[in-house]
Amino acid sequence: MSGKRKKTKQVETEMKVKITWKEIKRQKVLLFWSAIIVIYGFIFYYLPLGGWIMAFQDYKPAKGLLHSEFIGFDKFIQLFSDETFIRVIRNTLAMGVINLVITFVMAILFAILLNEIRQRRTKKVIQTISYLPHFLSWIIVTGILHDALSGTGIINEVLRNLHLIDHSIDFFAHPSYFWPIVAFANVWKETGWNAIIYLSAITAIDPSLYEAASIDGAGRMAKIMHVTLPGIKSTIIILLLMNVGNVLNAGFEIQYLLGNGLVKSVSETIDIYVLKWGISQGDYAMGTAAGIFKSVVSIVLIVIANQVAKRSGEERLY
Amino acid sequence: MESTENEKKRRKKSSKADVAFTVFNSIFMVLFVIVTLYPVLNTLAISLNDGTDALRGGIHLLPRKFTWKNYTTVLEKNNLITGAVITVARTVIGTLTALVTNAILAFIVSRPRFMFRKQLSLFWVITMYVNGGLIPTFILFKGLGLTNSFWVYIIPGMISAFNMLVIRTYMNGLPDSLVESAQLDGAGYTTIFIKIISPLCKPVYATVALFVAVGQWNSWFDAMLYNRMSNEYTTLQYELMKLLSAVTNIGSTAETMKNTAGAVTPASVRAAATIITMLPIICIYPFLQKYFVTGLTLGGVKE
Amino acid sequence: MRKKHVKHLMLAFMMSAALITGCGSDGGGTSGKKTEGGSSDDGGITEFTAFFAVPGSEINDDNEIQQIIAEKTGVKVKETWLTGQEAEEAIGTIIAGGEYPDFIEGGSGNPQLLDAGALVPLDDYIDKYPNIKEFFTEQEWDSIRQEDGHIYWIPQFSNIYGEEKACEHNDEAFWIQTRVLKWAGYPEIKTMDQYFDLIERYNKENPKMEDGTENIPYTILCEDWRYFCLENAPQFLDGYPNDGSCIVDPKTLKVIDYNTTDTAVKYFKKLNEEYHKGIVDRESFTQTYDEYIAKLSSGRVLGMIDQWWDFAYTAGDAIKSAGLDKQGCSYVPLPITIDESKTNQWHNSGGVVNAGSGLAITTSCDDVEKALQFVNDLLGQEIHDLRFWGVKDTDYQVNDKGEFSRTDEMRTRCADTAYKASHMCTYSYFPQWGGTSRDGINAMSPSGQASEFYDGLKNDVKECFDAYGVKTYVEMLGTSEAPGPWYPMWSYSNNFTTSTDGGMAWTKIGEIKHEYLPKVVMAKDFDKGWDEYMEKYKKCKPEDFLAELQTEADRRVAEAAKYK
Repeated sequence: MSGKRKKTKQVETEMKVKITWKEIKRQKVLLFWSAIIVIYGFIFYYLPLGGWIMAFQDYKPAKGLLHSEFIGFDKFIQLFSDETFIRVIRNTLAMGVINLVITFVMAILFAILLNEIRQRRTKKVIQTISYLPHFLSWIIVTGILHDALSGTGIINEVLRNLHLIDHSIDFFAHPSYFWPIVAFANVWKETGWNAIIYLSAITAIDPSLYEAASIDGAGRMAKIMHVTLPGIKSTIIILLLMNVGNVLNAGFEIQYLLGNGLVKSVSETIDIYVLKWGISQGDYAMGTAAGIFKSVVSIVLIVIANQVAKRSGEERLY
Repeated sequence: MESTENEKKRRKKSSKADVAFTVFNSIFMVLFVIVTLYPVLNTLAISLNDGTDALRGGIHLLPRKFTWKNYTTVLEKNNLITGAVITVARTVIGTLTALVTNAILAFIVSRPRFMFRKQLSLFWVITMYVNGGLIPTFILFKGLGLTNSFWVYIIPGMISAFNMLVIRTYMNGLPDSLVESAQLDGAGYTTIFIKIISPLCKPVYATVALFVAVGQWNSWFDAMLYNRMSNEYTTLQYELMKLLSAVTNIGSTAETMKNTAGAVTPASVRAAATIITMLPIICIYPFLQKYFVTGLTLGGVKE
Repeated sequence: MRKKHVKHLMLAFMMSAALITGCGSDGGGTSGKKTEGGSSDDGGITEFTAFFAVPGSEINDDNEIQQIIAEKTGVKVKETWLTGQEAEEAIGTIIAGGEYPDFIEGGSGNPQLLDAGALVPLDDYIDKYPNIKEFFTEQEWDSIRQEDGHIYWIPQFSNIYGEEKACEHNDEAFWIQTRVLKWAGYPEIKTMDQYFDLIERYNKENPKMEDGTENIPYTILCEDWRYFCLENAPQFLDGYPNDGSCIVDPKTLKVIDYNTTDTAVKYFKKLNEEYHKGIVDRESFTQTYDEYIAKLSSGRVLGMIDQWWDFAYTAGDAIKSAGLDKQGCSYVPLPITIDESKTNQWHNSGGVVNAGSGLAITTSCDDVEKALQFVNDLLGQEIHDLRFWGVKDTDYQVNDKGEFSRTDEMRTRCADTAYKASHMCTYSYFPQWGGTSRDGINAMSPSGQASEFYDGLKNDVKECFDAYGVKTYVEMLGTSEAPGPWYPMWSYSNNFTTSTDGGMAWTKIGEIKHEYLPKVVMAKDFDKGWDEYMEKYKKCKPEDFLAELQTEADRRVAEAAKYK
C-alpha cells in the first residue's frame, strides 16, 4: 500500500509544469514566498561566498578583501603539493566514511528496535537516556573514553580477565585502533540523538499497514522488514544523501582530543590541518582554499548521489 | 481445514521468533542504556565531588568527597542571569521563527505542481556545503547591523536546508488525496498549508523544533563573535564557556599559561556546568517527546 | 500572529537590502563608530574596554577591589578574554569589523593589529607618566620599538622592582618526590645519570606506595603544546637557559640547534634505555593532561620534567589535600645537567622583556591620556598592593614592622574561584611588578613573600629544604644572571609564522618532533630510530630557521652594544 502511494508520488514528481501566465497566477502565493526566501538565502548564504576571493589573495586583515595582494592559485598548488595535506584528506575521508556508515546503521537500528518495545513508559525512558550523551562536550566524552581504554581501564581489565590478552593494550599508541575508536565515540555520543528523526518518521507509518501484516501472519521481523523499513525509506535516503556530502566534515575536536604524536599520521583531519597551518599562522588564504576544496568535493558527491537516487526512483535532494 | 493448520504452524513459528526477538531486543536495550547512561552519571558524580580531590581521577558513579561547591561556583558566575534570559529568549523566538520559515519553504518545495521546485531545492541544498568563512560572514553581519544585537541569534539561522529537507520528506510522505480533495473544495495554498498539512506534520515539527531549540540553547560562538563587547546580549553557554576556557583553550601556549597560572578551572566545575545546561532540556523534553515517541499518527492512535 | 511575522520579515529584508548596498563593499580595517569605549557613567567613573587574546578568568561586574580602584583612579576596565578561538582568528575578525576595544593585547596577533594601523604609538606619551616611564630602562624601551621606531605595546610581565624575591621556581626543572631523596639520605644529585639511577634504586626497593599502589618511576607529559616536558631538556642539560627555540653560545654568539647536539642524543638515548627498563611510564606518549595530573595527584609518580605552574596549582594542591605530603610525595627541583662540568641555568634571575607582545591602546580609544594615566596609577604602590595583596585586614594583615602576611583562612579564601571573581581584581594583563615593594620590606605579590612562602610549605618539603640547607625552591637550583642581551629568543620565535622560510621550518620541525620523539624513545633500536628521526628532521630545513634566529640574535646584540 505504501508502495502504491509512493508510485503516484513519483509520477507527480516527474510531472513537468509548463510556465504559463495561468500557472503563475495559480501559484502566486508560492512564488511570492519563494522570492523572499531566495533573497534571504542569497544574502545570508551566497553573499559571504564573495569571501572565497581570499583563497586567491595574500589576505591581510589590515588591507581587507578589496586591497589584498592577488596571488592566483598559489595556495591550491601549495596545498596539493604537500604530502601532509594529501594524507589528511585520506584520513578525513576514511573517518568520514566509517563514521557515516556506522552511525547511520546504529541510529536506524536503535530507532527500529526502540519502536518494537511495547511498554510506553520503558520506551520513553530509554529514549530519554539515549540522547543525553549528545549534551556532553567532546572533552568530557573523550576524557571518559581515555579512562576506559587506559592500561588500568575497564576494557583492558575485562580483556585480561577473559584471558584474551596478557598485557594491557595501549589503545592510543597504535594507529590501527584510532579510526575505530573515533567511530565508536561518535556512535556513543550521537546514536540516540540521530535516532530521533527516524522515530518521528516511524510515527507517520499508517498503523493499518501493521494490522494488515499481522493478518497476513507476519512476525515482528517480517513487519520490520516489510512495513517499518519501507515506511522510513525516504527519510533514510534523504539523510544518507545529505551525509554523503558531509564525509569531508569528519570533525576536528574529537580527533584533536584523542590524538597524540604516535597516531598523528592517521588522526589529523583537514580541519586540524587548516587550524595548524592556516588559522594559527594568520594565513587566511589557506583556510579558505581548503574550504573551497571541501565544498567542491561535497557538491560533486551529492550530485552523483542524487543522480543515483533519481535513477533508482528514490526520494532525492532536489 | 488444511490451510488453517498451516496458518497455526506459521503463527507458532513466528511467535517463537518473536520471543527470540524480544529477548535479543531487551538485552540490546539494557546494554545500550548502561553504555549511554554511564558518561552522564559519571559527569554527575564528578560535578558533586570536591574539585581538588577529583583531580586524582578514579571517580565513577558516586562522588568520593561530596560537595555542592562546584554548582555554587557556576551559579555565582557574573552575568549568568542575563545570559539565561537571553538564551531563553533566543531559544523561544528562534525556534518559532525557524519552524515557521522552514515549514513554509518545505511546503513550497513539496508541492508537485510548483514550477521551480527543483531549482529552489537545489538552491538550498548547496547552502549546506558552502561557507564563505568567518571573516566575510563577520563583515556581512556587521554591514547588516547584526553585530552588537540580539537579532544575530535569530535572523541568520531562520532557514536551514537540513531542517527544511526533513520536513519536506515528511510532507512528501503524506497522502495526496487529502490535498486533492481540499483543492476540489476550492482551498488555496495558504489554507492547505495551515489547515491540512501542518496538523499532520506535528511529529516532524516537534522534531525540527527540538533540533533548532537545542541548537539555540547550546550555541555560544555567535555570542562570542558578534557580541563580544556587548554584555547585555551574552548567552548562558557563552558565560559557561568563559568559565571553562582556561582549561579547554586550544590556542594556549606555555607563555600564556605561565601568566595565567592558577586560573585553571577544575574539571569538576566543567561537569557542574554541563549538568546545569542539561537540566532544563531534560525537563522540557517530555513535552516534545510525546509527539514522536508514543506516536501520534495519521489514522488515529497507534496500538 | 503569522501576519505580524510576515511584516517583521519584510522589514528585516528591506533593511538588509539597504544596508548591503551601503556597506557591502566596506572590507577595510578603518575604524567605524565606537560602541562604548571611554564613556563616562555616573559618579564620574570612565569605563574602558579591554580584550586580551589569551585565555583568562573574567571578574564580576560588581567586583569589590575593581570598584575601590575605580574610586581611586576614576577608571574601570571591562576585560574580555579569548574564548574557544585562536588568538590570530579573534584578532582577524576584530580587525575586519574595525571596532576595537580601548585596550588590547593581541598575543601573537599583535603584529596584525600593528599592520592594520589599529594601535596608538605610545612613545610621545610615556615621559608624562612617571610610573610607566620607570617601568623600563631606556634600553629596554628601545628594545620594544617596532620597525618604524615607535613603541606600540608595553610588555606586562617578568619585571623586577628592587631586589628579586623569587621563592618558587616558576619554570621548568627535573622534579623528584621528597621521599626518594629522604630514602637516599638527601644526596647531591647533579647529573641526569645520577637522577635516573636514584629513581631506579628507590623503585627497586620500594616499588609500592603505603597503600599498595604501584609507583610510576618517571612519566613524560607530551600532550600538544605541553610536550616541552619531553623536547627541550637538552638546552638545560647543556647548561643553557630557556631560550625556547635554540641555545646561544655566549662566547661566539652563535645560535645552536639544541635538537641535534650530542647532549640531545645522550638524553633521548637515556630515556630510551629507561623506557625499556620500565622506568619511563609506558603511557607517557598517549596520556592526556588530565590523566597526567591524576597520576601526579595520586602520589605515584617519583619524578618528571615539567614547569612549576603546569602542575603545582593542580596536582600540588591535590597531593596536599589528600595528605600525601606525609608520605613524602611533594616535588622538589634538582639542579641537573648532563655532566658535572656544566653549571645549570634552570633558574634565571632578573626581569625578562618579552618584546613580542604587550598591552596596547587602540585608535578607538577616545582618551589615550586617561587610559595611560590609569596604567600609570595601576603601577603606583598603593594600587599595586590592592591588585596583588588585596584589601588590608581582609586579605592580608600588617604587623608592627610593616610586614604583610596572610592567615590560613585568608590564603584559602584568596585561592577560591568564586572569591577571586567577586573580590580580587589583579588586572592581570596590565603591566605589573615582581620583586620588592617600594616600602623595601614586602614583596610586590604574596608569592614572593618569604615568610608567606615558608608558612605555606608542606612539611616534607620543609624537611628536605632543611636537609639541603636551603630555604626556597630557587635555592635548590641556584640562580644565574640573564646570560646576555639576546635573551630570551622565544620572544622572537613565539611570533614566527609560516610566512617566512624560518617560520615554516620551525612549524615543520615542531610537527616532526611531536611524531618522532616518542618513536625515538620507544624504539627497539635507538640508533636506527634516531637516524630515521634525523632524516625527517633535516628535510624541514632547520638551517632556514637557525639563520633567522641568528639574524635576530645579532640584531639584539648590536642594539645592546649601543648602550655600553
